[in-house]
Amino acid sequence: MTVHATPETDVAKFPLAGMRVLELAEGIAGPYAGKWLAALGADVIKIEPPWGESSRAFGPWPNDDPNDETSGLFLYLNPSKRGITLNLETSDGREILRELAATADVIVESFDPGYLAGIGLGREVLNVGKPEQVLVSISAFGQDGPWAQMPATELTLFALSGQMGITGDPMRAPLKNGGSQPSYQAGLNAFTAIASSYYGAQVHGEGAHIDLSMRETFASMLELYASSYSQLGLEFGRRGNQVNAVWGIYPCIDGYAGLCCLPRNYDRMADAVGIPELKEPRFADPVQRLENEDELQAIMYGWFAGKTRQEVHDLGMEHRFPSGFVATIPDLLGSQQLNGRDFFHEDEHPRAGKLKYPRRLWLGSEHEWRDGRAPELGEHNVDILHDELGYEMEDLPRLRELDAI
Amino acid sequence: MPSKRPLEGVRVADLTAMWAGPYATMLLADLGAEVIKVESPKAWDNIRTLVPPPVAPGEHWWNTSSYFHEYSRNKKSLTLDLGDPRGKELFGKLVAECDIVIENFRTDVPEKLGLTYDWLRAQNEQIIVVGMAGFGKTGPDAEAMGYGPIIEQMSGMTALSGYGDDGVPFKTGISYGDPIAGIGAASSAIVALIQRRKTGQGQYIDLAQREIMTAQLGEAFMDWCMNERLPQHQGNGHDWMAPHNAYRCAARPADPNQDPLQPDLSDDQWVAIAVRTDAEWDGLVRVMGNPEWASAEEYSDQMYRWDNRESLDQHMESWTRGLDKDAVFQACLAEQVPCGPVLHTRDLFEDEQFAARNFFEEVSHEEHGAWMIHGWVWRATDAGPCVMFKAPDFGQHNAEILGGLMGLSEAELAELAEAGIIADAPAATPTASEMAAAVEAVASEAATSESAASGSD
Repeated sequence: MTVHATPETDVAKFPLAGMRVLELAEGIAGPYAGKWLAALGADVIKIEPPWGESSRAFGPWPNDDPNDETSGLFLYLNPSKRGITLNLETSDGREILRELAATADVIVESFDPGYLAGIGLGREVLNVGKPEQVLVSISAFGQDGPWAQMPATELTLFALSGQMGITGDPMRAPLKNGGSQPSYQAGLNAFTAIASSYYGAQVHGEGAHIDLSMRETFASMLELYASSYSQLGLEFGRRGNQVNAVWGIYPCIDGYAGLCCLPRNYDRMADAVGIPELKEPRFADPVQRLENEDELQAIMYGWFAGKTRQEVHDLGMEHRFPSGFVATIPDLLGSQQLNGRDFFHEDEHPRAGKLKYPRRLWLGSEHEWRDGRAPELGEHNVDILHDELGYEMEDLPRLRELDAI
Repeated sequence: MPSKRPLEGVRVADLTAMWAGPYATMLLADLGAEVIKVESPKAWDNIRTLVPPPVAPGEHWWNTSSYFHEYSRNKKSLTLDLGDPRGKELFGKLVAECDIVIENFRTDVPEKLGLTYDWLRAQNEQIIVVGMAGFGKTGPDAEAMGYGPIIEQMSGMTALSGYGDDGVPFKTGISYGDPIAGIGAASSAIVALIQRRKTGQGQYIDLAQREIMTAQLGEAFMDWCMNERLPQHQGNGHDWMAPHNAYRCAARPADPNQDPLQPDLSDDQWVAIAVRTDAEWDGLVRVMGNPEWASAEEYSDQMYRWDNRESLDQHMESWTRGLDKDAVFQACLAEQVPCGPVLHTRDLFEDEQFAARNFFEEVSHEEHGAWMIHGWVWRATDAGPCVMFKAPDFGQHNAEILGGLMGLSEAELAELAEAGIIADAPAATPTASEMAAAVEAVASEAATSESAASGSD
């Protein structure tokens, strides 16, 4: 068996060069974790069922023309990974996974809890001869407990994490926030879990089985809302867009802009806004402002109505109070700040055409981020099964016939 | 026997305050790093004054805020006035003993304090420095203040959320930009540790909180790039699932022990239901007791149901209206239909799944009894409890760190305390009665916003 060699230059440039990851995860959370591992140099082998993973079927697609190889979600989540297909419902598929697992530092899976163990691929099988291997199991509610097998979606996870009850207009239904946040935040947590466990395995020689519940990672960020209830009995309903008159979002000339003034930011804001009433005694401290909240809010509505988004943002920057605006995606793509920091990767994809999307999480002085392309379905079957695991080329059609790959 | 925590042996000098930075160092501390929270007696972490108990018995209310406790567990506290040359010199000696320095100051502040990367590296050549300004350390917005809600707006996230009928974008309830940036910052420090093991070199991480959040737009970003289509507000709807919404449930009986200052959420009861497949729909129909309307042709497959989702939602809500949200959930649990009651904070602490997994752990403070905070964000399967020790009192570890780690004598410590460079209480804090007023303000604010809610519908 040849081991996938890591070029010397990669080791210097990419912090995770030399780390091999098997990604047995569908949807967003696991693949989002794998996306950043791959961008930092890890050899991420994405293992899909022969019919392709679910995000290939979710789009968006160029010109709304569905195609397994041009799903925007799939292309966003999987750059720089290698892809193979394996059917784990066949014994040949399971055998190949066992062989691959023997080469893996990290395995990320998001099957229903207990599935892998049930098909004979529990942790003690996957990490034979590799006690420092890290297995990360991502699930909605965790690997155990009465809800372990309960299916979940972005909507139900948002509700069950305690986030939805406090999001939205108090006069209307609770509101799910945009996009697929239960999954993305879980993916970012999974990425962090993997990096830390991998580091710990290197230092202490011990692997780990990480049990990551998407709901628990989201419920861990309830700010003051959960613990204040437990400590003081404080309860909070929805507050719409205004936590208070100087902490909220308002309509302005060309869209929506916002302030986020804590008590210590108020005076600078009031000076910069320059409306004399804001300095009157009835708005002098947080308790008084709250008593005169409606009046203060009316003043702020009036002020925002005469400003552009950029004016609000610039004023805060100049006078050092927290302000900003509701940016759209074209705003971001045109942002001098983001472009000046080289935040976007532009790519000409052979099938999907021109793409532009965020390329990294942070800037590190001693490392780079890889810009690669997402694998086509089974693109690296030959590289990995033949070149690395040593299967004969003539075995591959047989395995395909058995639906193992 | 639980394994070692992965970051055991790593020491962190933590200059962060508020939520984003402390969230990052909470993760590092939970993972076993020795996190030393460094606060100036004069410019201490404001999070200590967000919702502390009105007046603690010893009036050391700056040690008892639940918000502070939740995100500072497993950390140590060192007070040090970095504006004083002796304080800064001691900080330099601390940096020499650390692996990571992390700060979330506004970009111009570290320079003013003289805490540049060059200076930090002069104290410790292998140091890893994470600077997590809102918009990054370079560019025209470098010095803009990045509180979580501003980050959420500027990242493109807020523009995605809304009911869809009025064009109004909505903020996430929490300051969502903060913890997301914190998770990113924790990972950046760990990745730098991994690289340092190979190369022997530390590095500087310039992490823009906004960029971490923008990366989570994912498919919405791709749709713009591919089709120049802006994301549409969908309320609680979905591109192809139906039913997919939050449905109002029966009010709960009012709590006889309800604090009159607190919002009464008893009639704000909802359940979220999302159906992906025909099999799940069949399960839901059984849960609902096979009502006649559900067999109509307009709901007979996924596309029909999506096309007719408005009337479907009306049927659904007329069913949920009479039921407690937990009853709906338990019935859906039995049929494996994706469902979730919209939990209020009090519900979280009565949740059977959280309880089975010991998600909340008890902490206590000698001046304010015991309460619950969340434990492991994620866990090793053989891990014991997450909280090894509660959040530190102000300056609790001054002697341990300055004396034990850095070798200062008791006389030197006394001298530093005398000069106000270290302290066991923040300087110039509001009085206990001012604090009580501020807490009341938070509480009545909650009540104010909720009186509107209970007046709805």
